[in-house]
Amino acid sequence: MNKIKLSAAARREENWGWIMVAPTIIGLVILNLWPFVQTIYASFCEHLGFGHYKFIGLKNYGDMFGNAEFWKATWNTVYFCILTVPVGIILALFVAILLNAKVKFKGGFRTIFFLPLVCAPAAVAMVWRWIFNGEYGILNQILGQKIQWITDPKTAVIAVAIVSVWSSIGYDAVLLLAGLQNIPKTLYEANSIDGAGKVRQFFTITLPMVSPTMFSVLIMRLMASMKIYDLIYMMADETNPALTDMQSLMYLFYRSSFVAGDRGYGSAIVVWTVGLILLVTLIQFWGQKKWVTYDI
Amino acid sequence: MKRFPRMTAAALVFTLLLSITGCGASDGKTHLTFQIWDVAQRDGMQAICDAYTAQHPEVEIEVQVTSWGEYWTKLEAAGESNTMPDIFWMHTDQILYYADFGILADVTDLYADEDPNYYQNHFSEISIGNASGSDGRMYGVPKDKDNIVLVYNKEMFDAAGVSYPTAEWTWDDLTDASQKIYDATGKYGYMAYNDEQLGYWNFVYQNGGYILDPETNIHAGYTQPATADAIKFYVNLQKNDWCPDQNYFAETSPGTSFFSGMGSMFLEGSWNLLSELQNFPDMVGDWDIAPLPKCPNPASGDGRGTISNGLCYSTAAKGKNLEIVKDVLRFFGSEEGQRIQGESGAAIPAYLGQEESWSTVFNSFDYVIDVQVCYDQFDNAVQYINNASRRKWKSTVADEMVKVYSGASDIDSALTRMQEIADSYVTAE
Repeated sequence: MNKIKLSAAARREENWGWIMVAPTIIGLVILNLWPFVQTIYASFCEHLGFGHYKFIGLKNYGDMFGNAEFWKATWNTVYFCILTVPVGIILALFVAILLNAKVKFKGGFRTIFFLPLVCAPAAVAMVWRWIFNGEYGILNQILGQKIQWITDPKTAVIAVAIVSVWSSIGYDAVLLLAGLQNIPKTLYEANSIDGAGKVRQFFTITLPMVSPTMFSVLIMRLMASMKIYDLIYMMADETNPALTDMQSLMYLFYRSSFVAGDRGYGSAIVVWTVGLILLVTLIQFWGQKKWVTYDI
Repeated sequence: MKRFPRMTAAALVFTLLLSITGCGASDGKTHLTFQIWDVAQRDGMQAICDAYTAQHPEVEIEVQVTSWGEYWTKLEAAGESNTMPDIFWMHTDQILYYADFGILADVTDLYADEDPNYYQNHFSEISIGNASGSDGRMYGVPKDKDNIVLVYNKEMFDAAGVSYPTAEWTWDDLTDASQKIYDATGKYGYMAYNDEQLGYWNFVYQNGGYILDPETNIHAGYTQPATADAIKFYVNLQKNDWCPDQNYFAETSPGTSFFSGMGSMFLEGSWNLLSELQNFPDMVGDWDIAPLPKCPNPASGDGRGTISNGLCYSTAAKGKNLEIVKDVLRFFGSEEGQRIQGESGAAIPAYLGQEESWSTVFNSFDYVIDVQVCYDQFDNAVQYINNASRRKWKSTVADEMVKVYSGASDIDSALTRMQEIADSYVTAE
């Protein structure tokens, strides 16, 4: 802040400014910042029970890095991101372009694609569980196969990824649609006068123009994917033989903190995950310079 | 104009404060909250509360239901911030954690005026054990008790020409019948899935083995021969054609399978029987229950055994309304309170002599299942396995069992690891 002498009136106004933003800031500090600090502290502690912690230094991190299950969960999380993010965004862009075109019942289609987002995630997961059921599921009936979608280690993550993509497409598509509609029509007109085809238009106009929106969607989708928890919790029982092959970092955190009651260890997993998300996001902000177009 | 926002703000703050204090009762009554996790028992719990408030109009009790999964997360957080519900259910898995940490009120002397040996005179040793802390004091009033029974599909037995299970059935009869039913009808036999209380624990104790040694309740017994043999027997049941594998069970629970007519037998807890009669009206009359089959050649004992657990009613040690709540708990644990619970069908009352009040609600069905089995089995009941450190190793040990079923590890090395995991907490303490 500049060190300019403010008049009494200006100072009053500044104070009012602080008062106006105070509720939000206080909320942020109490609900976000303070728990964050506590989590970091807890990751260096052993949880004795009911909020009592004993400082044990780096032991949780030592245990964590020495645990094969933890590395497996880290890989599962990364693998899940690889499966869901690119496919999800490409499909969402595809849907957005279709919805942007002049088709009949456009409003109806938009509603249909947006519906998964309105459904409760738990309900979504339950329905998909039945679709994927190895014995009686409709998917296997259609395919005429006996694939153990949710219990086979090879397909379990893929099954969760399919549900995740399915439920996020609508939201991403709506964001991308907004981006598409911001593209001035004149660009396309000028371009077609120059004799460019539809495909060329897509790569020279649509993609660069929508890239800022895509970048936000990418960041959000990646963060959401790295924090995947609810779908796995709903789709896999504790006795699922493929559980260790599909459990994400957040799921492992849940099991450590709330099932086994080891909140110190759970906090260490959270800190690791936050670090990972931070790293990935930094890389993206650095990488965006190469492909995101901010000016025409 | 300057004054206006300030006045408005003041008014807003005032109404906000009003709404906060407004939560307090203004009708002069004491409002108590009663937290449970089973929606099927809501009416039963409400009936007991109504009976109490009829006698004590100055008290009002609100029954709140939270799902099992959220219940413990919420209760622990409430325990941390001293905002626990006035009365809540306690489960054996959790009671030691809460009691040993001083969260629960000691109710050992609740009936001291009436009868110093009230608990001993009116509740079984198992019920008292399930409501005690590590120090042997009572941290809850015994609510109910349960055990595990064999549920079987009569039609499938008839179709295969196999006679119904009896009290004399052994493990061999169980596997024979399973094979015959599978051959005759193509339906699954006994559905042995990966579970402790509703699965291998029963077999372990029937064989004379133990999960925690009976003398000290400290050391695990996974590698003890009788235990290991029983667990192997149980796990290997899935190798038969007549038993689905764990992949199947991870998606379709034995209960779902049974009540959709896919399998002929599974182990069920007595607490689920009523809701299964209610939820599957088409199946009423097609199924019945029998005592658990016994071990034909146990390493020790008579080959019988069924795991028996029970819940209790607890309250917080630092509760605001402790004296009133204690009076409510006294009623919950009284003969009358327990009878109302039984008659509502909620669960088998823990109170000795009131068990059969639970039959009332079953008699309203066209076909009365043989609930006497549940009462008789208390003679062979084994207390639900628990000690102070089990909470820490429970899920890790369960993970090892999952690996056995998925084929990721062989059973002998898994049992050795389960033993090591459980024992590591013994030396640590």
